[in-house]
Amino acid sequence: MSRRKHKKKQEKVELNLAAMLDMAFQLLTFFIFSFKPDPREGQLNLRLPKPEPVAMAKDGQQAGSDTNNSNPVAGIETLVISIPSNGGNIDGILIGSVADGNNVGGPNGLDGWFKGQMDGGDFPFKQVILQVGSKLRYSELMRVVDTCIRQTLPDGSKLTKLSFVELPEGG
Amino acid sequence: MSGGGGDGAEPDLTPMLDMVFQLITFFMLVTNMKAAALDLNLKLPVVGSARPVDTKGVEELLILNVTSDGKINQYGIVKDPGPYIASEAQVSRMTANKAGGKLEAGDELPTRVVIRCDRATTFASLFEVIKLCQDQGFVQFALRAMDREADK
Repeated sequence: MSRRKHKKKQEKVELNLAAMLDMAFQLLTFFIFSFKPDPREGQLNLRLPKPEPVAMAKDGQQAGSDTNNSNPVAGIETLVISIPSNGGNIDGILIGSVADGNNVGGPNGLDGWFKGQMDGGDFPFKQVILQVGSKLRYSELMRVVDTCIRQTLPDGSKLTKLSFVELPEGG
Repeated sequence: MSGGGGDGAEPDLTPMLDMVFQLITFFMLVTNMKAAALDLNLKLPVVGSARPVDTKGVEELLILNVTSDGKINQYGIVKDPGPYIASEAQVSRMTANKAGGKLEAGDELPTRVVIRCDRATTFASLFEVIKLCQDQGFVQFALRAMDREADK
């Protein structure tokens, strides 16, 4: 009896690691082949409500609650920026409609126009509508959106409330 | 010569197993399964102020890959935007209602729509997707772009 016990104590337990290693290598292979590094992407957060109808007020008449205000666009507190396209590129940026808007050139001009407005300390617009040519490329549109959302409003918030509409003529 | 010829050489596999498990741990930690939702064939535009945003899983995201021809590519499958966005809106509404909300069809949805567009996608295609989303109640949007450093 005691001899048998003595013999048992001397037995060495040996784990067969080869099977575990096989499985581990299979897992490793799976992870190596399915590994894709994340692209470094950023994003521009926007709040895009449906655009509200713009009233068809005529220039020169009282607009909004201010009796001295004869600017229809300011009266309805909507800033319309028109971006017609030519071959997918920006073909001028107009403050107002395409027909009678003030052309500020490109995104840099728009940035300067915004700065001029903000310097006055008063930015009366509650809604910004971007009227975009239907063939304008996404990369060009993002230049304009980037310019808009970089603007800091007098209340300290960023200009992220934008609405998009398609230019009637198809730009 | 003498001795050892018949003995089976048994290499110690423990260090190799340790190393393999460390490698597996590394790949498990760095693999992001959500990246499968991104269509990496799209060439995003470069925008200076685009910054990576970590929602820490708090905000629900609906990622839409819009190809240059205006189609939506989800997990490698090209889908019709209308029915797909409608079904995702329903899922978003049900999720919000399960969490205690009382949303009905057409109500503003809490999910943010992340739009990944190819550089060459026209505004008409993008606008079509945005309108479909707005019709379903999505208001929060994010337009994806590469930041300048990543493009170098």
